[in-house]
This record gives sequence, C-alpha cells and structure tokens, in this order.
Amino acid sequence: MSLEIKNLHVRTEEKEILKGVDLVVRRGETHALMGPNGSGKSTLANTIMGNPNYEVTEGQILLNGEDITEAEPDERARAGVFMAFQYPATIPGVSVANFLRTAVNAKREEPISVKEFGQILRANMELLKVDPQFTSRYLNEGFSGGEKKRAEILQMAMLKPEFAVLDETDSGLDIDALRIVADGVNALRGPEMGTLIITHYTRILNYVRPDFVHIMLDGRIVREGGPELADHLEEQGYDWIREEVGAGAA
Amino acid sequence: MPPSFLEERRKAALEVYEREPIPTWRRSGFWTTSLRKLRLDELGPRRYDPVASLDELSPVVTDALRGEELAGLIVQRGASTVYTEVDPALAGQGLIVMPLEQAVEEHTELVERWYMKRLSEKEGKFPAASAAFWTGGAFVYVPRDIAIDKPLQVVYLIDEPGTAQYAHTLAIVDEGSKAYLREYCLAPDFEGQALHAGGFELYCRPSSNVKLAHLQDWGAGEVHDISTKRVEIAADAHCGWVPIYLGGRLTKQTLDIITAERGADMRHNGLYFTERDEHLDVFTTDLHEQGHTTGDTVFKGALTGESRASYEGLIEIVHGAQETNTYLQTHSMLLSPKAKADAIPSLIVKTDSVSASHGGTVGEIDEEQVFYMQTRGVPRLEAIRILVEGYFEEIVQKLDDEVLEAVVRERIAGKLTEAAAEVEEYIAQR
Repeated sequence: MSLEIKNLHVRTEEKEILKGVDLVVRRGETHALMGPNGSGKSTLANTIMGNPNYEVTEGQILLNGEDITEAEPDERARAGVFMAFQYPATIPGVSVANFLRTAVNAKREEPISVKEFGQILRANMELLKVDPQFTSRYLNEGFSGGEKKRAEILQMAMLKPEFAVLDETDSGLDIDALRIVADGVNALRGPEMGTLIITHYTRILNYVRPDFVHIMLDGRIVREGGPELADHLEEQGYDWIREEVGAGAA
Repeated sequence: MPPSFLEERRKAALEVYEREPIPTWRRSGFWTTSLRKLRLDELGPRRYDPVASLDELSPVVTDALRGEELAGLIVQRGASTVYTEVDPALAGQGLIVMPLEQAVEEHTELVERWYMKRLSEKEGKFPAASAAFWTGGAFVYVPRDIAIDKPLQVVYLIDEPGTAQYAHTLAIVDEGSKAYLREYCLAPDFEGQALHAGGFELYCRPSSNVKLAHLQDWGAGEVHDISTKRVEIAADAHCGWVPIYLGGRLTKQTLDIITAERGADMRHNGLYFTERDEHLDVFTTDLHEQGHTTGDTVFKGALTGESRASYEGLIEIVHGAQETNTYLQTHSMLLSPKAKADAIPSLIVKTDSVSASHGGTVGEIDEEQVFYMQTRGVPRLEAIRILVEGYFEEIVQKLDDEVLEAVVRERIAGKLTEAAAEVEEYIAQR
C-alpha cells in the first residue's frame, strides 16, 4: 500500500517547477518534505491532488500501484488521498458540519445516518479539542489561521484517508495552535495512514517525528535521510544544502 | 355599483394608460428593458369559475404551497378569484382576507383609507393599466394587537398563454400586530405570451412586526411581469421583506420600502436566478422619510444561459431625516459566458448626520473553491451546486420559513442541474 511519485515533471503556464521527483510513501510511514520557499513543495502537493493549474509533462503518480496521474481530484479523494491546504478556500453559506457530511457521503454508497455522523463528528471534535459551535460556522469564513488549520485536520479525521499530504499546515500558527494541530496529526497517525508533511520549518517536526526526511531544492529532491536530517537543517539552515548541491553539480 | 373613489381612480388611470406609449427603460446606454416583443393586443383578461379544491388548479400551486396550514388564502387565476379561505378563529378576531373587489363593497371605508396611498397611476403605462383594469385582487387586514404566525397567502396564477392579468394586493397590518404575508406569482411552463401587471401595497402600522415574502416563478413561458410593490413602515414598526425571483421571460419591477416614521426598521433581502433568455430588471428604493430609521438591503443573483439581470438599488434619505442608519449591498454570480449582470447601488442623501453605505460585486464561482471541494471527494458538479446554494443561503435563511426555503432550494438545484453542462464548461474555462 503506497503512494508513489515517479520521475514527476510539472509545469505551470510560465515555467517548469518539478524537474523529476521520485518519492514513495507507504501506509504507516510519516515523511517530511522540506525545502526553502519556491523549491516546488506546494506544487508537488497540488499535483498529487490533481489541481488543474499544474500540468504533468512527464512521470506518474501511483496509488497502490494504480496510475492516478490523470484522475479528477474528487476521484483521488474518494480513493483515499487527502490534502490539508496551506490556504484553504472559503465556502460561504456552507457550515462545517454540512460540508463534512457532504464529504463523508461522497465516499459512501448510502448516506451516513444522522446519528452515526453525529457520533463520529463529536468524537473527532473532542480528539482535536474543537469548540462545539465551530461546526455551525460557514467553512473558513472569518476563520483565524489556527481555526482554518484545525478545520483541515478535522476534515482529515472525518475522511480517514490512506494518504494525507499536509501542505505547510504549521505555517502561520502560534505555538499553542501548532501543538493542537500536531496532537491531532499524531492522534490520526498509525498503521492505516501514510503522511507527507510539507514544511519550510522544522518546528512541527519537534512534535510530529517523521520516519523519513526529504529535502527539495529547485524542483528536485536533493537529500534524503532519517529525522536527524531535519535536526541538521534546524542548526544549519538551507544554505548548507545549497552549497553542497552546488558543489556537487560543479 | 362600485364606490365613487374607486371609479374615479380607475378613470384617471385609464386616461394615463391611453395617453402613455409602451415604455422602454434605458439606463446609461448599455442597459435597456424593451417590450418590443410583447404583443399586448393579443392578450386579454381570462375569466374562470371558482374551484372547490386547489387540486383542480395547475399543480404549480400545490407544489409551492405544499399543504401548509395557512391563516388565509386567496388564489386568483387570470382575472378571477377562484379560491378563498380564512381561518375562522382569526376571522372572529377581525382578520380579513378576501378579494379586493369584495372588500371594496364590504369594507369600503377601510379600503378607501389605504387604497393606492403609496401607489400611483401616474407612474407610467403599466402602473396605470393595473390601476385601471384590475379585477379580483387581494385584501388583507390584520387588526390591532394580534399575532398571526401562520402565513397569509396570496397567489396569482397564469396558466394559459394569451392571458393579461391585472392584479392588485392591498394589505394592512394594524398597530402592534404581528403577521406573515406571502404573495406568489406562479405559472406552469407553456408556449406563448402572457402579461402580469401588478400593484402591491402593504402598510405596516405603528409597532407592528411584519414578514413579507414574494415568490415569482412564471415558468418557461413568455410571461412578462411589470409590477410595482411598495411597503410603508410606520413608527417603531419592523418589516423584513424577501422577494425571490425564480422565473419570468421579462420582469420589470419596482420595489420600494419606505420607513415613513421614526423608529421604523426595514430589512430587504432579495434573490434572483435567471436562465435561458430571461430578462430581469429590478429597481429597489430604500426611502427614509424620517430620521431615526434603519435599513439593510442585500440582493443576490445568479445567471445562466443568455439571461440578463439588472439590479439597481437606491438608498434615499430625504431632507431632515437625520440619525438614519442604512446599508445596501448587491452581488451577482455569472454561471455562463453569455449571461450578463449589472448591479448598481446608489445613494441620494439630502441631510447630514446619517450613516449610509453601499457596495456591489459581480462575482463568479472560483475554481479554487471547486478544486477545494473536489479534494474532499465531492464531484465537480455537486461542488458547484453546493457553492451556488451556499452563496444564496444568506438570503434563503432570511425567509425563516421551512416550507418556502425548501421550495427555493429545490428550484435552484433544479435550475443548476438543467444548466449543468454549460455551467461546468464555463467554470472549467476560467
């Protein structure tokens, strides 16, 4: 059971952003993808999810061996892929609860009963320490940065994906909010889910310990290792990698 | 023999009607509402016999009313009142719900006091036409100090092409009372032309609390609707008015809400959904005649097909009406490359010490929102439907009326399904 990225090349209207990325995330594993701004991390997340603004020019995305490179975003989602957005869209007039029910039902043949849905929702809200009134608000409308991220994690908890990509979920959070989000991710981690945490900073990795760390630079993964690689980055910053990669190329 | 006040008013109206040409409404060069396709000579009043049950009428009536218990009901088909009922207990307390024709005879003084106090035959050919030619009509009088929660319902039905329907509704909610009034304009789909020229007037007396809903759903036929609706709110009274436009070949409506005395408060929340080659032209005025009055207007629309919709919303605060607080905003959502929306909020303020502001947007569904919902497993088309429903939800909830809310949501969902292919293609291209 894996999410496999093979020699992925991606461009937007203007330019090529991913220049051959290979990455395998198996269920039960937690990976961190790190890199400076503009290195292509968010492009990878969006491409995994099928954002129509990104064009795959070469390579493949495989979900449990099945090629999903051309699949619609909603097909990928129903197949078990999830993405927590860095900047989630606002959905006016649709409450968090109604949105969650719609999303849960999208994966099911028969709609979930009101009772069962209520039970699962309450359990997950407790797990993520979400205020009960939160779910009657319109999704992301007037939400603080922390509330948006928490709503993303609540959706992840309700949808129980096989593979979750967290795109800069830690950005813009104060330490309390970061801890709550990290606790949520830890609570949902397990043998049933593979997680790819995309981050610029190392601080979320102090709370969610990754099994593998990949470093992306200019559209390529240039270093891979265990959690110690993140610790190294924490001390040295990205310049160290830039110099090493630059030297290697020369 | 009708009372002389009515005869005089009809005579004056007929003179205006005969003198005035068929109007064309133009604004700033690029918006025109023209009646050149309306073959007025081919249309005429149609008379019908009363029915014993609503089931004998076109199903659009029962589809909209859904068997809900009502405080009173008047159904006018073409030129004739075909069904009337009123809750006997409430009638015992003084509630009057009857055709205006009958009220003119039976409650002459009351009708004379209010009839066309705020409407005028001088406003043009069609206001004159409805004032001169109306038959049947609706009269609703809620006496002082009673609370009626169940809806007071007026229905105008057109179900045959060739119909010219001249309508007049007069409603008064007297001091300290609470009431909910609904006026529906309905037609099944048919081929051919019809006209509805209507006058509507509601007087909210001091300290009354009135909810008002208009539902217009003229179906896919060529129904032309040229109407004027006015609401006057007296001291310390409140009126929440929700007009809903779900269909009509050509609609030209003037909606005015007048806070006439201190302490009057109005909430005006409208929505429209136009499709195919429909043409909608709505002009609302939020007129503050006295100071210490408050207002809030929100109008939202969505357009598919080659439809055209113009919403013009004016806040007018007259000289001396200080300490007025009012806000107007309008939004329209394009769902087709060939649809055109125009939103014009404006202000005329002739006094100082007021708070008045307005805003308008012409928006479109954001691909980012659609993608976001798709990443949650929601198929594209359903995502679009949910986004459009969500966009209207702010207005629909203002109805605070489960039955009508369900009707509106279902109708909007149906329209989106009908336009699905076109809407999807449009959003994908953006």
